[in-house]
Amino acid sequence: MSGAESLDVDVLVVGAGPAGLAAALRLTQLQKERGGDPLSIAVLEKAREAGAHMLSGAVLDPSALAELVPDFQSRGAPLAAPVREDRVFFLTRTGKLKFPVVPPPLHNHGNYIISLNTFVKWLAGLVEAAGVDIFSGFAGADLLMDGETVLGVRTGDRGVDKHGQRKPTFEPGVDIRAKVTILADGVRGNLTKQLQRRLQIGAGGEPQLFAIGIKELWEVPAGRIAAGTVIHTMGYPLRFEEFGGGFIYAMPGGKISLGFVVGLDYRDPLFDPHVAFNRFKRHPFVTDLLRDGQMLRYGAKALPEGGWHTIPRCHAAGALVIGDAAGFMNSMRLKGIHLAMRSGMLAAETAFDAIRSGDASAERLKQFDDKVVASAIKRELYPVRNVHQAFEHGLLAGLAYAGLALVTGGWWPRPIRAVPGHERMEKLADYYGDAAPADEGQDAVRADRKLTFDKLTNVHYSGTRHDENQPSHLLVHTDVCHTLCTEEYGNPCQRFCPANVYEMVMEAAGKRLHINASNCVHCKTCDIIDPYQVITWVTPDGGGGPQYDGM
Amino acid sequence: MLLVIAEHRSGKLNRATWETIAFAQQLAGGQPIAVLVPGAASVSAELAAAAVKEVVNVESAVLEPYTPDGYTAALQQAIEQLQPALVLLPHTYQTRDFAPKLAARLDRALITDVTGFKSSGGATVFVRPMFQGKLTADVAPQGPPPHFVTAQIGAFRADQAARGASPAPVRSIAVSVDPSVVRQKPEAPFQEAKQAVDLSQAERIVAVGRGIKGQEHLPLAQKLAEAFGAELAASRPICDAGWLPMERQVGSSGQTVSPKLYVALGISGAIQHVVGMKGANTIVAINKDADAPIFEVADYGIVGDLFDIVPALVAELQK
Repeated sequence: MSGAESLDVDVLVVGAGPAGLAAALRLTQLQKERGGDPLSIAVLEKAREAGAHMLSGAVLDPSALAELVPDFQSRGAPLAAPVREDRVFFLTRTGKLKFPVVPPPLHNHGNYIISLNTFVKWLAGLVEAAGVDIFSGFAGADLLMDGETVLGVRTGDRGVDKHGQRKPTFEPGVDIRAKVTILADGVRGNLTKQLQRRLQIGAGGEPQLFAIGIKELWEVPAGRIAAGTVIHTMGYPLRFEEFGGGFIYAMPGGKISLGFVVGLDYRDPLFDPHVAFNRFKRHPFVTDLLRDGQMLRYGAKALPEGGWHTIPRCHAAGALVIGDAAGFMNSMRLKGIHLAMRSGMLAAETAFDAIRSGDASAERLKQFDDKVVASAIKRELYPVRNVHQAFEHGLLAGLAYAGLALVTGGWWPRPIRAVPGHERMEKLADYYGDAAPADEGQDAVRADRKLTFDKLTNVHYSGTRHDENQPSHLLVHTDVCHTLCTEEYGNPCQRFCPANVYEMVMEAAGKRLHINASNCVHCKTCDIIDPYQVITWVTPDGGGGPQYDGM
Repeated sequence: MLLVIAEHRSGKLNRATWETIAFAQQLAGGQPIAVLVPGAASVSAELAAAAVKEVVNVESAVLEPYTPDGYTAALQQAIEQLQPALVLLPHTYQTRDFAPKLAARLDRALITDVTGFKSSGGATVFVRPMFQGKLTADVAPQGPPPHFVTAQIGAFRADQAARGASPAPVRSIAVSVDPSVVRQKPEAPFQEAKQAVDLSQAERIVAVGRGIKGQEHLPLAQKLAEAFGAELAASRPICDAGWLPMERQVGSSGQTVSPKLYVALGISGAIQHVVGMKGANTIVAINKDADAPIFEVADYGIVGDLFDIVPALVAELQK
């Protein structure tokens, strides 16, 4: 559709998260330091306001922030509490074993407990004060490409009804053309995915591995737990074959960030991450902590856990990929915000030089990958490059390797191989033989709506809203649901989705998949783990999605 | 000369025309202003009150009823006769329908939805919003005149349009348009049905949820609603499935209601629904599942099969 309204800028950043905002802010700093024609910079963000789709634990390693905003303290960075104490437990069904020493990667001295979405709102304020336009409420729907060159991004049409017809409020998408497009579209970003498909930027590397994090924000009676306490758990309710664990971060005012992370490479098709989260909460250790408290917020988000060998080529002609979109996360330290920000800063430097030299070719933008290799990012990620992969061989093998890696700097004869997570899910018949239980998800502890909640109630607390009258933004390309999938996997979409988007409903004509797209919290889990890989997450009307606050 | 194109529907003036006249008067800077009225001489007399040089009535059979082809053909000729420097229109639905076509027919620039103007190096640039008002763009028309500019509704105030000391002269010009150029055949205008239901005003509501099982069972709920003199409403799954229109949906993505009586049939009581109806004075819930959360907010609860209970209720109410 030519004739779409268009805007030309020097640099377009897609995604106002820590990576994208760090890139935008660093660009304005370079402009100030080095002068020259003012750069035009635009940032696209699909949330109604920057930060509203941000969700993380989170414990922030302030190293990148200190370089980007040296006076972050005096500029009011919202850091909820400095970490005062680390504890790591191995949970059994009802008991817990404290790790005698906290493993070095989980030492958080000097780090801060933060709410990522509050932090990002603050960072967005700095970026706007530096003169950058943040277009919030606009989703980057498609890459504009000419051959192998990225020209920019087309935003999504707005105001199309369920049946694809234009409503009176229809507004066509806008073409934003840029000399350099920086994709900071987050974990399993829809535009980065398009780039992967078009240019095979991940070819030759290891497949990305993901996890899903489910989180609630609680308020508990005063004095229950000291602010600045960071607790990580392993073991129950997971079995040795599943990778993940719980986190509990205590903030001032009795606020607790409570969450559970599970690798999206589990084998059991009846496994439900949300049920695991509820079981975690019903462990006496956690139940005691939350007693008489109140759940305030809920959310979920996937995270890239594959590490160094899974990071794709992060450049193409006219484009760079940064942050979670590229996989800059340290799964051993459970941290990625600082790496995301640093990747954004390095991308800004690369983009700035490219624009000044009038050359945004792939050869020129390759400098970004070189800078990453020479930076603290590689120094941090390389030694733990095989850790998540080792956990694919079970908890014990993973822990053994993780311990060894600390001594050897991660040495292993070759990259430990892993298969994409969705290929690890086994069919019911293979996993259970003849003994398949009815449905693990249904067997789950009934939500008491005080300590544990059903998914639909939880979604309410994510503040998620989408206009109901729009096409589903979850595309199921082939209807294998009631035929193949019911029999082979027992429709795991009903379980892996933490927001009750997917429902198999019984009708006179038989079972049918019903998609409650308006519940979607944009976590991307379905796009990642669906065993048939027939689900694609595309952008809904800009502004739709969760409205996280304090998460 | 600045030419304002008036808008009317069958002789009833659209007030946005006055806004466009105000826009023209602010923009004119001494240039004469003419108001062009397609058809409808009665409107011309009304507009003659404006402080403008003249009102020009275009007469042609193709102007009534409105069609984009008829307007384009007639106005093209009128504009060629009058040779204005600028053509100003209110940014109405009708303008959106024909103005792009008219500008393209004359191969002239069109700037839409303008909210203001400024002068830049002696030339006038027009200000218009972009990206749903997040940015404004200064746009300068290029190419030979006339340039077409449409004014955003409300951007200029009708009450600021200056009136003349004496009525402006009104004259008519004739254009000759072959009626066969009009390809559209307008139907009789229709009044969009007033929204059939305003649940927020309803005193009694009977709402159905998934427990109703199928669209074919809706008449059962409808009967109960009629017996109560109530409006029929539903929870999200019912409207999402298209069994009832979305305007009858109660809950966080639908309506919020506070009737005197709310009867929930087969509604489990997900929090998304409850936030939309918990303000009701009296809530009656009928549900098979005794643990359904709807009973936490219900004043009266019946645990049972709605297919047994509803007919009994209807029978009782009809006594």
